[in-house]
Amino acid sequence: MVTARFANFVERDARARGMRPRFSYPPYPVVGMSRAVLREYIEGNNPLTARPLMEEVIGALTQPVTEEEKHPTIVRKPRRPRLVAPGTGEDIYRQFVENGWTDGLPIVLPTEDRVAEMLTGTDHAPDEVVGRMLITPQQEKFEYTVEKVAAIAVMAGARPEHLPVILAIAAAQEPSLPSSTTSFGRMVVVNGPIRNEIDMNCGTAALSPFNFANSVIGRAWTLMSINFGDARAGETFMASLGHNLNYNNMCFGENEEQSVFEPFHVQKGFRADESVISIFRGWNVLNFGIGPAKEMAHVISTFGAMGPSVTFVVDPLVAKSLRSEGFQTKREACKWIVENSKVPAGHYWEGQQSGFAKRLAEQGVEPFASLAKQPKDALIAPRHSPDDINILVVGGETNPMWITTDFTYTRSAAVDKWRPKCGIRRDEKPLRMPAAVTCKDGLCGIP
Amino acid sequence: MEQNGRLTVLDPHGQPTGIFGRRLDAQSKPGDILDPVTQPTSELKPASLAPRLDALDGKTVYLVETGFAGSFEFMTEMQDWFQKNMPSVKTVLRHKRGTMFTDDPELWAEMKSQGADAAILGVGG
Repeated sequence: MVTARFANFVERDARARGMRPRFSYPPYPVVGMSRAVLREYIEGNNPLTARPLMEEVIGALTQPVTEEEKHPTIVRKPRRPRLVAPGTGEDIYRQFVENGWTDGLPIVLPTEDRVAEMLTGTDHAPDEVVGRMLITPQQEKFEYTVEKVAAIAVMAGARPEHLPVILAIAAAQEPSLPSSTTSFGRMVVVNGPIRNEIDMNCGTAALSPFNFANSVIGRAWTLMSINFGDARAGETFMASLGHNLNYNNMCFGENEEQSVFEPFHVQKGFRADESVISIFRGWNVLNFGIGPAKEMAHVISTFGAMGPSVTFVVDPLVAKSLRSEGFQTKREACKWIVENSKVPAGHYWEGQQSGFAKRLAEQGVEPFASLAKQPKDALIAPRHSPDDINILVVGGETNPMWITTDFTYTRSAAVDKWRPKCGIRRDEKPLRMPAAVTCKDGLCGIP
Repeated sequence: MEQNGRLTVLDPHGQPTGIFGRRLDAQSKPGDILDPVTQPTSELKPASLAPRLDALDGKTVYLVETGFAGSFEFMTEMQDWFQKNMPSVKTVLRHKRGTMFTDDPELWAEMKSQGADAAILGVGG
């Protein structure tokens, strides 16, 4: 049984796997419908065939298996050509847009010469396979080479100096567009020397469109996800609302220079002098938080989320403030926040109607099962471990504020393996947007 | 590259691999991310549909609730439908363990050992 909205999706997937399951399709949606409506679904018709649903279900279980069902064939996707058929620039640009190969914004067409120039950004062979990607957990993965990644980097407007970072993101093999009806947003954080070598913005307005590297790297991730992950709205990408972050993702460098805490990649076991990308996934971004750790704990106690994770994106002033409160490390702060963000059990479970915790509790999975046994007025911690909380330091110290997200850290990937031996390939005159104006005398304080 | 006013550009799309995601760990957490490196790389083999029953009378049909929100209520209504319209069919309503994204090989084994004649899984979407 699959709701009619997803008929094309599951049938296409089954054919590609060499299967012919007998699906029956009730109307959509099922979630949130009353029992009376669900009964009408079952007693009514399959909206795709206009035949009684249960008659089809009984038939699916009892009608003899056909020859095609006994001997299904695998419907394979054809291999892609290396080059697009020649045409005028205008025609090819139209083709890219109409084929759904772009994000709808202007791109640079990946000509042979442009891609060849981009490939000077790494020593790796163009035909080296970087990874495989897919935007759903079950559908066919698409494979991509260094050359394909370079083509995407060209499309995104990047320069060869950016290619090692973009290759690292590609090597992480995680699409920025995970196909979920719940509509994910994504974040990629860069740590280590590469941030400064390519002049990423880690300071003032780092999350806004004022830095060339932040912009083209974040965009390249989305263009890779569209083309390597085979993202097509309503076909493979099923986000109901979508997410505005999908355009460019949250892409920035951690402000290691202004932070009093250890860089994020060091927390994950990398050396401080290594360059690393780290990837996050979630839904919600709640801007403007201000105040000490107590306020951070308060905000997440009221912050509804499907999962337990929280990632705070904090200004360096907030990190300094946490240090002055006595927290020597991010983890110490996270531990305190977890332990002090308790909510009444009844309130927590009311907010879990569409989350996983309730289902896992019913199945006896800990810690949810024990939490479910608590009386409604008992105070419980929705986040169970300091590992559920992340702190990233970024910003220009114009305001001691933080952003709260329900983003989960998923993985990190090394940048340095993609660097050319001769060093980052910078243009003779590197292309740069105006740098954020920063305090140079160290006298800036809290306004 | 431009020749006579015509450009040649690279195709940006990834290559199909014939390799599909699999949920190897039925107990993995919803937020866990698949490691593609550990995925099976063998060629897929077509899977034939199992033989059908002649009729459902006197048979045991498992109704497996897959984990999507609303699925349990939907499958409960389906169980009621069977009781009302086909009372000779024995239905067993079960939750699939884990989440909608996880496999449950223990349940499949249990169904075989308990003599299930058929199964209806739902509701996806």
